[in-house]
Amino acid sequence: MRSVFVFMAGLLLCGCSGEPAPLVAADVVLTKIRPGAEARAGYFSLTNTSGEPIVITAVSSPQFEAVEMHESVLEDGVSRMRALEKVTIAPDQTIKFEPGGRHLMLMRPTGATGTVTLHFLAGEAPLLSVTAAVGG
Amino acid sequence: MGLRNIFIAIVAVFAIGMGAWLSYQLAVPPPTPRSATVLPATAPLPDFALLDQHGNAATRDTFHGQWDLVFFGFTNCPDVCPLTLQALASARKELLESDQDPLPRIVLVSVDPERDTPAVMNAYVSSFSNDILGVTGDLEELQKLTKGLGIFFAKSFAEDGNYSMDHSAAVLVINPEAELHSLFSAPHSIEDFVHDLPILTTGM
Repeated sequence: MRSVFVFMAGLLLCGCSGEPAPLVAADVVLTKIRPGAEARAGYFSLTNTSGEPIVITAVSSPQFEAVEMHESVLEDGVSRMRALEKVTIAPDQTIKFEPGGRHLMLMRPTGATGTVTLHFLAGEAPLLSVTAAVGG
Repeated sequence: MGLRNIFIAIVAVFAIGMGAWLSYQLAVPPPTPRSATVLPATAPLPDFALLDQHGNAATRDTFHGQWDLVFFGFTNCPDVCPLTLQALASARKELLESDQDPLPRIVLVSVDPERDTPAVMNAYVSSFSNDILGVTGDLEELQKLTKGLGIFFAKSFAEDGNYSMDHSAAVLVINPEAELHSLFSAPHSIEDFVHDLPILTTGM
């Protein structure tokens, strides 16, 4: 249904070497950037494999000047896009960033975007980094 | 006499059955849309003077002569707008492949004319399909069109000064007389478009 570039298998990094990553990303998809448009969307699922809630407060990428967590909401027939200041994932919970709902908005590429890295952050602390080659 | 009564009874049951079957056949309603809402009375488009993606005039006359599926959005919308346009383009392709006639045209009207110049619209809509009409232009002219159709849009500013557009998410169906005929409310699906559009445009 959508033209998408599917991220190939990501590289999961964890700040605690040897320990299993507390946060696991899967099904990472980056929509095709449209000519004329300046923003694209990122979709994925995130699973909290730890016993504690995880709060993501930001996502950044060296390949984009700005990355924001957004949510498309439909209220009384009006589509609104709202920035999310944080996303909380309960222990053992999987949440989805998916079309028409929560999504990443990646704006103003800094250069070539053949390989994209996403850093998921809790405040300043890195939770998870996913580096992926864009397919297609 | 017993046999005769049985015969009469059989004939009567048969006649009643036939009558019931016939009345059922005559009472089967025409197919109805499962998602779209048909207006009780069509509403003519208001007068407006906008531009298409090639810089040519786009007015009410532009909507004469074919069925149009009109969506209001903006090019810097990464999620809902491309999803909707992609769904419309996919539905239209399916209808084309099944020889649906008439085949509606897809129209994107920008609610962000400040950033969406005709050149930007041209690049954007042609990335979905070569036959999508992109409409943009002066804000005042845009408001004539949206107010006449009950379409809402407004800027929503982020902390960094960037803005997004809030906008009605419906897809409007405009008939060849340039009148609002029906509409699809969000969320949209390819299947609903494919199911309903032949009913809306041909009544079958």
